[in-house]
Amino acid sequence: MTEILARRCFRDGATADAIEALHTELDGLWDDASFVPAMDQMAFTTAVIEAASNVVQHGVALAGRELQLGVELTVSASVLEARISEIDAVSHTQLPPAGLPVDDMESGRGLSLIRALVTTVTVERQGDTNVWVLSRVQAPPES
Amino acid sequence: MQFSTEHKTDYTEVAGNGRLNMVAAPKLREVVQEAVSAGYKRIVVNLAETSFMDSSGLGALIGCLKLARQAGGDLRIACVQPQVLMVLELTSMNRVLTPHPTAEEAFSHD
Repeated sequence: MTEILARRCFRDGATADAIEALHTELDGLWDDASFVPAMDQMAFTTAVIEAASNVVQHGVALAGRELQLGVELTVSASVLEARISEIDAVSHTQLPPAGLPVDDMESGRGLSLIRALVTTVTVERQGDTNVWVLSRVQAPPES
Repeated sequence: MQFSTEHKTDYTEVAGNGRLNMVAAPKLREVVQEAVSAGYKRIVVNLAETSFMDSSGLGALIGCLKLARQAGGDLRIACVQPQVLMVLELTSMNRVLTPHPTAEEAFSHD
């Protein structure tokens, strides 16, 4: 079994303020896992913030519920993983096809960015929650 | 994120300190809109103290670029940090928002 070397969990209402708080949580993760190369930290942080922002901007709460954002971040020797939960949300598990918009469009780049920054990205339905699973396999250290 | 605006001889410098994300993006649009509406059409966004940018922040820069150009001016970026450069390159937007080494150099060759 893969040993988890660092872990952080976060849960809050799916609001813009939660994105700032999540970023602070990510900074704390890298304090705990400073052995992760700077490039991997930067790429993973960007992908996680993009996915969480997507939840805040596009997630739709189930009737009578309040949309929540949950994030679990884990670091093992070779993989960085984020499970980003869109809690009490209307189901959506189909990611749109890859592709960048034309240059003067102001939106539509987030998912392409995520795909470029992580090794795998999937969305699965668990109960009333959509769970984005992002993983970035780290390059082995040079010997 | 905090923004400051300084009117120089040939351009207006907007400096951002912090993370240019979905929280800060509307503030950047507001600051640039204010400058352009006041007649300052040559804008340099100094990103020396901008440690992070996501696609929302990038969208705001594109929106500000359009604002400046529609007014007959232009917007350029300077002092880009590694994470911001990574986002520009991965989205190929470095072709449109070309990073300049310093704010002074952004319009120096016009």
